[in-house]
Amino acid sequence: MSKNAKIILILLLAAAVLSVGFLLLQREQPASPVARITLDGEVLEEIPLDEVEESYSFTVDSEGGCNTILVEPGRIRVSEADCPDQVCVSQGFISDGTVPVVCLPHKLMIEIVGGGSAFDAAAG
Amino acid sequence: MTPQPVKGVGRLTRLALLTAIALTIFMVEAQLPVVTIVPGIKLGLANIVTVYAMFTLGPGDTLMMLAGRIFLGAVFSGQMMTLIYSAAGGFLSWCVLLLLRKMLDHRQIWLCSPVAGVFHNLGQLLAAAAVMKTWTVLAYLPYLVLAGIIAGLFTGVAAQALMNRLERLKQ
Repeated sequence: MSKNAKIILILLLAAAVLSVGFLLLQREQPASPVARITLDGEVLEEIPLDEVEESYSFTVDSEGGCNTILVEPGRIRVSEADCPDQVCVSQGFISDGTVPVVCLPHKLMIEIVGGGSAFDAAAG
Repeated sequence: MTPQPVKGVGRLTRLALLTAIALTIFMVEAQLPVVTIVPGIKLGLANIVTVYAMFTLGPGDTLMMLAGRIFLGAVFSGQMMTLIYSAAGGFLSWCVLLLLRKMLDHRQIWLCSPVAGVFHNLGQLLAAAAVMKTWTVLAYLPYLVLAGIIAGLFTGVAAQALMNRLERLKQ
């Protein structure tokens, strides 16, 4: 194997190890998760998730279409969207700051702030 | 890069054929169900054709083929909004392939794809950050780096196998 190939292989391995390490370090429970809903870069609403007692849902209209957001105690998701790819809907609930729910066609984003981040979405 | 003049029907046909193959693979893959924890991750099988083209046709022709496939892919799948993400990812991975084809030889094509895959995902993420006007989406980066490497290894090995067989065919 040539020198160039070895360098590239090592860089790839380093990138993989860094990514895995970063994901493992994120395993912390959020203190008080707040869901921040942003539309086209502007904050639309902030919902403290641990104060939610009963589930409710509401619809966000944007120029691209609309998303229905479902809020439950401690977690939030996009339950319906009129976009063709449905990526945000298939992501399901989020309850921590690991990854945000993003609806790219409608420029809508739900992120969890105010707490640490945990990785229980995969397990739960 | 200097624009290359069309050298005849042969080149045109080869480019059209590769674009059609890449587009077909792209459309078939879009029909497959997604089975990952993080949404939006896929194998990117059409990149087998891109990597193959980069090593056999050269960067200019590859860019034309890639642009054709990305545009038609967006039209055919009816998701024009995805055009900017595909274009950003495609262009960044094309730039990386441009470097890699000088550094690696024909036996090491399998190694190109993981690198190109990582940069493809990075380009998409940067485009997403620009559209959403926030850096928060970069939280996806570790997932996308891993996904790019794994998917890239898969398509890279496939491109290598394709290359080896087509070379044998020429002899």
